[in-house]
Amino acid sequence: MFRNNLLNKTKNRTGKVDSVRRPVRFALFLLPLVLFAGCGVRFDMQDQPRYKAYKESTFFSDKRASRDIPEGSIPRGQLHDNKAFYTGKIDNPDPNAVAATTTNANGNTIVSSFPNDIDEFPIPVTKELVERGQERYNIYCIVCHGPSGNGDGMIVRRGFSAPPTYHDDRLRNAPVGHFFDVISNGWGKMNSYGAAVQPADRWAIIAYIRALQLSQNPDENLKMNTNKESKPATAVPAASPDAKNRGGGM
Amino acid sequence: MAQIFNKSANNIAKISMVMVVVLAGGAFYFYTQIARSSYLTGRYLEKQQPVQFSHKHHVGDDGIDCRYCHQTVETTASAGMPPTQTCMNCHSQLWADSPYLEPVRASYRDNKPIEWERVHDLPEYAYFNHSIHVAKGVGCSTCHGQIDNMPAVYQENTLQMEWCINCHKNPEQFIRPKSEIYNMQWQDGDINAAERAKLKTDYKIRSREMMTSCSTCHR
Repeated sequence: MFRNNLLNKTKNRTGKVDSVRRPVRFALFLLPLVLFAGCGVRFDMQDQPRYKAYKESTFFSDKRASRDIPEGSIPRGQLHDNKAFYTGKIDNPDPNAVAATTTNANGNTIVSSFPNDIDEFPIPVTKELVERGQERYNIYCIVCHGPSGNGDGMIVRRGFSAPPTYHDDRLRNAPVGHFFDVISNGWGKMNSYGAAVQPADRWAIIAYIRALQLSQNPDENLKMNTNKESKPATAVPAASPDAKNRGGGM
Repeated sequence: MAQIFNKSANNIAKISMVMVVVLAGGAFYFYTQIARSSYLTGRYLEKQQPVQFSHKHHVGDDGIDCRYCHQTVETTASAGMPPTQTCMNCHSQLWADSPYLEPVRASYRDNKPIEWERVHDLPEYAYFNHSIHVAKGVGCSTCHGQIDNMPAVYQENTLQMEWCINCHKNPEQFIRPKSEIYNMQWQDGDINAAERAKLKTDYKIRSREMMTSCSTCHR
């Protein structure tokens, strides 16, 4: 009722011409709104034309915006000229030296001689280093080697071939350089962990492995408890020029 | 001069005034709910991935540390997606014949990265860095929820600015000891407010003014 009244009155008051223009005006009023809606929501700010990690590239054929460092390039401060620290090898390795290996029942290649590997930590072994090693070990190594290094990690329990235990004379006497080599380059069924674990952390892990070996060795425990003067085999402080750079992005 | 308006117009006018307020309020409330809805924020939506990877299995059942795969979470802005070789560390032997893992093997064979669907997509005008958050006591599950219960990962929170600011204003309500960052079972109530306030001091978390400054996140 009201609407009819109002419309009638309007028509009466404004006359016929206006009643035709009214919808036109209304349409003009709506036009910007429709145009805004037509623009839609724009995402120029959300998705900017720059590359972040893992963003897809339309330029490179493999669509990876994150590029590999060109082979042979040396980032500033990463010359890695400290051979012992970055490779775990002695200064003048004998290229003809052959490590004595056998294959055990699990199909693991067991190495029993370690030519060219360094036998001393290239950085000072501190409590902090061992604790860092424990943390890193429990991320990367524990899955197969197990919490105490017996080779009974969860992945092994799921069916992966068991790695050798750390707690036999062969690996107790193996030089630290051998462990460094295995972490860096892999060994047998174990892939390289060089990309995941930076060199300083590898030495930390090795220090922790030494601590594990000590903890699982009754003879060594007995010796340490009876003679407080004897130092654990891991404490081999040796000043390294690279030690001060350890915190950096290596 | 004749009356222009019918007498009922009085009531109509009053009702209209009330209704304008009610409708505007309702419309605003409706807008805020729509803006926060999972329809617009993508919250709780499970993404279909090229491989049926289950965090519930790998984290919950196997107990693998987050950092085994997300290796750069402590050092860079991105937490890091693992190279296919990381998958093959175990799957060279485990489920090595499974058809579910064929995309992984194909990726390894052809040296082509697996194209995962991004689950957490922040707008690029927002600067976010994982390493500073884990270094200051923000645990994974605080933002990502209980990943160890997610067969398919979904976005646990809105990732809207109000959600970020909520913690930046009161970080002491959400932080935990750094030793518990990767603990998926951690609850905010595991330590009391005083202990969390002490953590805020110990971890040198900055003042509310710094934490909520525009350029902290928009730089």
